[in-house]
Amino acid sequence: MFRHTALRYAVLVLLASAALFQAFTAEYFGLEILTEILILAMLVLALDIVAGFGGMVSLCHGALMGMGAYAYAILSTTAGIAPPVAMAGAVALTGAIAWAIGAICSRSHGIYFIMATLAFGQMAYSYVFEAPIFGGDDGLGGISRLDLSFVGIDLNDSRSFALFCLASLGAIYGASVLILRSGLGRSLTGVMHNEQRMRALGLTVWRVKADVFGLSGMIAGLAGVLAAQHIMYISPGLLSWTVSGEALVVVILGGLGTLVGPLVGAAAFVVLKHELSAVTTYWHLVVGALLIAVVMSRANGIFGWIEARWGARIDRRLTDATRKPEAKEVLGDA
Amino acid sequence: MLETRNLDKSFGAVHVTRNVSLKLERGERRVILGPNGAGKTTLFNQLVGELTPDSGSVHLAGEDVTALPVAKRARRGLSRSYQKNTLFDGLTVEENLGLAAAVHTGNATQLWSDSLAKPEVREIVDEVAEQVNLMPYIHAKVSEISYGVRRQLEVGVALATRPLVLLMDEPTSGVGPEMSKGFHDLLNNLPRDLTMLIIEHDMGLAFDVADTITVLNYGEVVFDGLPEAARGSKLLKDIYLGSWEDA
Ligand SMILES: Nc1ncnc2c1ncn2[C@@H]1O[C@H](COP(=O)(O)OP(=O)(O)OP(=O)(O)O)[C@@H](O)[C@H]1O
Ligand SMILES: [Mg+2]
Repeated sequence: MFRHTALRYAVLVLLASAALFQAFTAEYFGLEILTEILILAMLVLALDIVAGFGGMVSLCHGALMGMGAYAYAILSTTAGIAPPVAMAGAVALTGAIAWAIGAICSRSHGIYFIMATLAFGQMAYSYVFEAPIFGGDDGLGGISRLDLSFVGIDLNDSRSFALFCLASLGAIYGASVLILRSGLGRSLTGVMHNEQRMRALGLTVWRVKADVFGLSGMIAGLAGVLAAQHIMYISPGLLSWTVSGEALVVVILGGLGTLVGPLVGAAAFVVLKHELSAVTTYWHLVVGALLIAVVMSRANGIFGWIEARWGARIDRRLTDATRKPEAKEVLGDA
Repeated sequence: MLETRNLDKSFGAVHVTRNVSLKLERGERRVILGPNGAGKTTLFNQLVGELTPDSGSVHLAGEDVTALPVAKRARRGLSRSYQKNTLFDGLTVEENLGLAAAVHTGNATQLWSDSLAKPEVREIVDEVAEQVNLMPYIHAKVSEISYGVRRQLEVGVALATRPLVLLMDEPTSGVGPEMSKGFHDLLNNLPRDLTMLIIEHDMGLAFDVADTITVLNYGEVVFDGLPEAARGSKLLKDIYLGSWEDA
């Protein structure tokens, strides 16, 4: 189950302030980077829900995001459906597909789960690549953004679009916390800790996994819709398994099962990518080395490491000193 | 309430359950005795559906549940605790009980509300915590409570599904004699209409709670009757003294 700590709140406030500052002060290039971060952040939130809180390490979330993007593009462009309806349709469709994938993969665990999701992702990739309606290698262009002119917002403006993505991410973060704190979220935690026991208590385990995977898929789908609107052009590369792999790297670098960590990871990853690729074409080596260092240190990502090292101290300083201390000693008679 | 008919199970050449037929009436408290490896846990696994018997059937409240999966049997009122603690380690005592109570009350898959905040879940959590003496540790994490208290929680989690039939696999295994005694008092205080099947290693303690006794040896029922009869049984003494006096 997800808990907010003082440290997590503090980091959230910090991230939100930095994003707002960037959104209001940055020029075009800075806004593009910010939007890229916000969309990646949404994708890694989706992944952290299933991987960090349900033990379902998915290698198809990139493909789910791609499905959301393509569904939106086809619905809004080819089918000519109004953008808000197309958005809802794309999110619902991605969620339904993700639910089915989750249901089918729910019996497998560990490496087998990873491989099964990878296979689904690759199937989606090659289908999109081959089927004529998706434009093959050339992709699809001319995708329009949501029209918010009735409230005086022009999303074709980079700044407005970045703010729109930030607001969406905020809403999705809130929804993620609610999901994890719901009865379903609690059961998910129970399943991750001990699937056999949850079954013995009468829980239909596959349903819980499928439901959560479906919800996570909806979030990934929304990230895809935003990505399509952002670039206004999409290609099959969006569904490539390397996108899923990158998202997983970000979740692990940030801190699996912390929600806040992956947000930090997304920001760090995109900034690092742009800063380093300006200096060297071998920037992947640096990210790789960083990932190895994090994994070898056995810390739960960068944010997890900060939490483990300073979390207690920072929490104490940030929270009211009158709060009663937590029981630390072993309770009960031996 | 719970019945098995000619249950049979082999692992390869090892015949672990031999033609076992048991019958528990509603509210009956039956203790299963037997030496290590007699097939007690394997029998439990078949009762709850974690293992499929080679032949024979399991009946719960008059219904043949042999073909039902674990979760469905559980929802029909069959609950078990494990010989080895099977708890949710990172969670608190309250959350452990809450997970079970949420499943029972249909809150375990709710998206719109926190199961642990539901009054019907809270009611079960509080009642069970009271029943198995967990109130002092209710907000402690599993990692913060002692082994003995964890054994209580192990049974508590099973109880929090409000079962018709409660199966307990050596609830006092690994805890000292004093605490075992307390544990048996606790079992005696559970509602009289709860049907209980308890695997117990210690014969003396078994007599504290048992209405009836079944003795398993090499997968076979070698005794089925009242505790008084068991106490005098020569057969039982042989098995008992032979292998598990010092356990
Ligand atoms: N999955 C399995 N595969 C093969 N053999 C098994 C399996 N499970 C149990 N056995 C064997 O079945 C026999 C009965 O085991 P079981 O665990 O039911 O005994 P028990 O009566 O519960 O013993 P204890 O008092 O030690 O808990 C043992 O010989 C055990 O090795
Ligand atoms: Mg056993």
